[in-house]
Amino acid sequence: MPYLEIQDLTVSYEKNKPTLKRFSLNVEQGELVSLLGPSGCGKTTTLRSVAGFIQPDSGQIVINERDYTRLPPNQRDIGLVFQSYALFPHLTVFNNVAFGLRMRRIPKDELHSRVANALKMVGLEAFADRRPSQLSGGQQQRVALARATVIEPQVLLLDEPLSNLDAGLRVEMRQEIRRAQQQLGITTLYVTHDQVEAMSISDRVVVMNQGEIEQIGRPESIFAAPETAFVAGFMGFDNHFSATVESAQDDKITVKWGGAPITLRWQSKFGSPTAGARAEIFFRADNASLSAGSEAGGLAGSVILHTFHGNEVQYLVETAVGEFSITQDSDSERFENGAAVKVQARTQKWIAIIE
Amino acid sequence: MVSRWMYISLVILYGFLLGPFVIIFMAGFGANANLAFPPQGFTLDWFANVFETAQFIDSFWISLQLGLSSTIVSLIMGMPVAYALVRYQFSASGMVETIFSAPILVPGLVIGFAMLNFFVLLGDMSVLTGLFIGHTAILFPYSVRVISASLRNLDPYVEDAAVSLGANRLRGFLLVVLPNMQAGIAAAFVLGFITSFNNVPVSLFLSGPGVTTLPVSMLSYLEYYFDPTIAAVSTLLVIFTVVLVQAAERLLGLSQFV
Repeated sequence: MPYLEIQDLTVSYEKNKPTLKRFSLNVEQGELVSLLGPSGCGKTTTLRSVAGFIQPDSGQIVINERDYTRLPPNQRDIGLVFQSYALFPHLTVFNNVAFGLRMRRIPKDELHSRVANALKMVGLEAFADRRPSQLSGGQQQRVALARATVIEPQVLLLDEPLSNLDAGLRVEMRQEIRRAQQQLGITTLYVTHDQVEAMSISDRVVVMNQGEIEQIGRPESIFAAPETAFVAGFMGFDNHFSATVESAQDDKITVKWGGAPITLRWQSKFGSPTAGARAEIFFRADNASLSAGSEAGGLAGSVILHTFHGNEVQYLVETAVGEFSITQDSDSERFENGAAVKVQARTQKWIAIIE
Repeated sequence: MVSRWMYISLVILYGFLLGPFVIIFMAGFGANANLAFPPQGFTLDWFANVFETAQFIDSFWISLQLGLSSTIVSLIMGMPVAYALVRYQFSASGMVETIFSAPILVPGLVIGFAMLNFFVLLGDMSVLTGLFIGHTAILFPYSVRVISASLRNLDPYVEDAAVSLGANRLRGFLLVVLPNMQAGIAAAFVLGFITSFNNVPVSLFLSGPGVTTLPVSMLSYLEYYFDPTIAAVSTLLVIFTVVLVQAAERLLGLSQFV
């Protein structure tokens, strides 16, 4: 029995234009699941529906075998962390964290020890008497995390909690959130538009697009084997081109690359491919290499642009099937703009998507 | 060159702004029987005369009561409007904002005249009630604006945060939003009170026999007498306003809202 069940959730802000279309997701107890997608994909709508701030048109939300669908948000026992932190500016850190416990009429002694523990967990014991405005962004988000978890909620919801922090701090806070979540064993939904963040923090990732789920899976499997073109694009497969399937086996297909056949893994939501079908081929910038145009094999092209990035050089190469972005180790052979090159496929990490 | 011209224009500007006050201030201490400049001699008689003139004392109390009551009521009415304008985007919100700003944009004389006619049509109404309604109406847009400004500085998600922690909507508002509106409410109070206390055009039309505000009674005093008493009242009024604004600035940082 999953701990958090979302069944066929449909939400529309405008008539007949649902933001969320029959969204279903099961989350196990203690699991951290990310909702990943571009803005407007419905991930925040899902989160706010679980929190009770949005009434769905249809569908059901069940937490720990209790139907939450029609429960008002203040009776839901859910911890929420906002992108903007949403700390209470007029209250001290201590009173911010104590707010939820006061609403629950927790006796004073217990309240004090629980707030102290929560502040200790996020390393802010020394800041109990400060106002939020006297804290840095990272510290404010730690207070928000302590405030949301001190009530020992059934489910913790985080809405882009790191987007207002700078890059270095984001990595640190990410680890801190994950550590706290595992330490408390709290079932968590985490909304983000950052694929690296989603992969590094989650047990499972839900990739969403236009109110629907594109793919659910462990970070490793989504990263390696996206099932749709959208997921592949979102997961950093920078290059793609269309090809005709020459022949198909159970788990491989063969397409032409510069005249020669290459064999690729395939993914499809619509059954096995057959010879003659169209396939979208995806590969990342570091899964191809360049060699001199005079060499045998590979796909002929010419360098349009090259940019130096320190450890690597990025090339934009024009070929008969499209433009590709390819990164090379900066110690390897360099090519100038206009140089004739061959693009050599390293196909073990390529993926063919049949749609 | 630029800085010298700026300097000169600043001096001219301040000269025109403050010069009249300096003249009135000095004239209030002059011994002449008529308002004159430069004053001859020195006396505090005119200030004493202010406190002996029943007209000024009575109208001062009326202005004070009127200022306090209309400010408080305009705040109570302005708060929910400001809250709705800031928190909810609705199709008519632009129009509502414009309508609520109208009393700032329409000349005070027009408002006063219109209200007088309106109240006469409504029939029996005491002068004080008319003044109270008129002042509340002109203060209302100030309340809405100043309170809106303070609300706009507050993260809209703090209410959701309070609700997610177990507070119902009302408690969330009382425990989280209201405390953060305090400075704005206080600023609106000071601004509203001063606006009411110094208002002439609306009070002029709505005053009645024996019931009038301090600025209006000063005006009618001027019609009959031209002695420095009026300069003394003016000086007291300026001091009163400056002290009030300074206190508000010290306590609340008024300038961040206005």
